[in-house]
Amino acid sequence: MSQKKRRARCERRAAQRAARSGRGTLAMLTTSALALIPGLAQRAAAQSRENNWSIAYGYSMYSEASLPASKISAGSRERYDIDTHAFKLAAPIGGHISLGLDVTYEKMTGASPWLIQSDLSGDPVVVMTGASIEDARTDVLASVTYIGEKSRTTLSGGASMEDDYTAINFGFGREKDFNQKATTFSWGIGFSTDEIDPNDTSFNPDPTKHHKKTGTFSLGFAQVIDRASVAQSSLTLQYADGFLSDPYKLVSAGGINREDIRPGTRTQVSWLTRYRRHFERVHGSLHGDYQFSWDTWDVKAHVVELGWHQELFELLSLAPSLRYYTQSQAKFYAPYFALGLPAERDASSDYRLSPYGALSFKLRADLSLADWLRVPEARVGVQYERYMSGKEFALGSISRENPALVDFSVLMVTLKTGF
Amino acid sequence: MKPLHVALLLGLSALASACQHVDPWERNLLARPDMAWETDEIAATQEQHTYFSKEAAMPGGGVGGGGCGCN
Repeated sequence: MSQKKRRARCERRAAQRAARSGRGTLAMLTTSALALIPGLAQRAAAQSRENNWSIAYGYSMYSEASLPASKISAGSRERYDIDTHAFKLAAPIGGHISLGLDVTYEKMTGASPWLIQSDLSGDPVVVMTGASIEDARTDVLASVTYIGEKSRTTLSGGASMEDDYTAINFGFGREKDFNQKATTFSWGIGFSTDEIDPNDTSFNPDPTKHHKKTGTFSLGFAQVIDRASVAQSSLTLQYADGFLSDPYKLVSAGGINREDIRPGTRTQVSWLTRYRRHFERVHGSLHGDYQFSWDTWDVKAHVVELGWHQELFELLSLAPSLRYYTQSQAKFYAPYFALGLPAERDASSDYRLSPYGALSFKLRADLSLADWLRVPEARVGVQYERYMSGKEFALGSISRENPALVDFSVLMVTLKTGF
Repeated sequence: MKPLHVALLLGLSALASACQHVDPWERNLLARPDMAWETDEIAATQEQHTYFSKEAAMPGGGVGGGGCGCN
């Protein structure tokens, strides 16, 4: 068989598999702005299976690197390990309704940064909790999608439960196709109400229950550019009101430890643009994503992700990718405060609000078993990610790096079948 | 008009003019699994939850419930 014929056959089979599994062009265009709404993130993707039953399971092992002894003042060097089980089901009911169910269970163990102090030379060092923290989280999300000829409407509701934290969310989203489904506009709204009950008084002196509410609005469109490329752009606005601090963190101010206090409201804006292009000659696809975020805490962030998906021997896909992240600091952040602060003044030393950058590498392999099992879709995926953060990756120079910045790795296995 | 608005309008105009008409039966390449926005939904959800817990920026895909992320 000639090279040209082999490639044509390979292309045809790939398209047939895609068509059978429902992951067609329409599916790509529909996973747009809805994916930015709490509660609709998973559902936007689920719409790709609108005419098929599908079941998926994933297991991941997340492990944070130990901190070097030079960055620790007290506590454990070991950080968090998280094991996660995720289950996803999509079930079509009749010709126009699709029901979705997502259940995630994760178990966390390890130590967490508690506060940052100054050492004798003035450099910040972290005080960790003991390696005794254990927690578990269960997340359940249910949805129903009405599939029209040129539109889809999704309603979702879910809850996330931990020993000390409960979140309940609702979402509504709508997408409409134009121009022979070459263009899709979408919008969505989401609402979440959260309660934190900080019952571990060994690290938190105030066991008072706190609440917050979050509303999200998103608007986006996706466009077929030519027969091998497609782009998507969406804008998301999120407003949070209530207790936005971390009750398990302290701040060192003038040598005295006090609560982490943050503003009671936060507005975040995010603009995400994504591009996909397939190169027929090499049977590979380029993925490019860029996101800019800004919020009223003065945090500006950029995310760039580039990936290459290479098909091999019709059954195997290899996908290396690189992700770059950088953020500026929140306006009330400092690694520690040399002088004392008024009791109610906003102040945080949380490394997640510090200025830094991060680089992560990811490699994913997918093996298709659909032809072997004679079903529309059957796939095994294995993925490994290594994430490194530090001041050296940030845009601009940073004088004092937060010593609690985290490096981690994630190994994940996913199984999926559609019928 | 602000420079950002001008840039957005120019960007949208450039995108619109760059688009070719592609009939539905010519979209086999776009239908490939490796052209999806997320090639694995469970993996994408897990990734977004991790970034939500470790970074200050709002993730590119919202996470239902989300949890505390207090670690």
